[in-house]
Amino acid sequence: MRFTLIKDIKKDATMGPILNGLLIFTLSYLILDVIVTSSTLGLFFSELTTTLFGDEEEFLDPLSEVVFLEHIHTQIFFMMMILLTLSAVFARVSNKKSYSLLLINTTMLSGLSTLITLILGYYFSTLFLHLYIVSFFLWHLTALLMTLYSLWSLNFEKSI
Amino acid sequence: MKKAYKFSILYFLLFALILLLSSYMLFEKKIGFSIDSVLEYYLGNEKKFTVMYSWSGMLKVILPHIFAFGLFSMVVLHFLIFTNSKHFKRTKVLILILFISGAFELLSPFFIINGFEFFAAVKLVSFFLFELNLLYLFYLLFFSIVNE
Repeated sequence: MRFTLIKDIKKDATMGPILNGLLIFTLSYLILDVIVTSSTLGLFFSELTTTLFGDEEEFLDPLSEVVFLEHIHTQIFFMMMILLTLSAVFARVSNKKSYSLLLINTTMLSGLSTLITLILGYYFSTLFLHLYIVSFFLWHLTALLMTLYSLWSLNFEKSI
Repeated sequence: MKKAYKFSILYFLLFALILLLSSYMLFEKKIGFSIDSVLEYYLGNEKKFTVMYSWSGMLKVILPHIFAFGLFSMVVLHFLIFTNSKHFKRTKVLILILFISGAFELLSPFFIINGFEFFAAVKLVSFFLFELNLLYLFYLLFFSIVNE
């Protein structure tokens, strides 16, 4: 995280392209994650309940607990790494901006809520799945905003 | 440390706690916390129609975990640089224990399928050592960030 210590990233020949690359990869991950989740778990309530709990009429088996836990386990790892690196870059390029903390908190809390509500939805009540859907879209949207803003700052701000 | 970085690290610790919880639950559901269940998981059981893990099957599970263990440990440990803990001798011990227990946790299944059943106990001990060590590191990080 050397970029957090550089006074002006604009004057550093290597850090700009490195961070641009990281942000473009992050942007791709965020977009593709929505597409992949849509085709695996589902993005809406009826699709989600069918995937998690199966459907007798359509002869669909429910998701086993081990497979569900493996999915959650992988998701946590990717989310924590993506959100940590993204928030570190965003905090650096949006220096002294009041909304940066708000956006970081919203993204992190909605990310945490995505994981927790999916677990609660699977083990306790399907009502939590509604919260999961809201949290899922919220963290993707705010992370997307952070990524786009960071890209804009890196390439168009005079000094960062 | 900037307030935004503090928040980011605190949230990271929360994610890490859920990750540890999910790994504990996965271990319990898939393998179990007794020596017999570890042996049965890797060596198979004729009565339950489960087969022994193959080398390639094991590698498929272990390969992504090697990268994940290394990266995760490095990220958690490098935050210690920003705390007072970096001056203590115990930090070096914690770093060593974390990487060594992580390595044993990952590699002990290879010894199990090659006939060294003792490594079932090593697998269990290293798993708990890795998890408890991480929990202690989270505790250190949490209090040094909050009290800064």
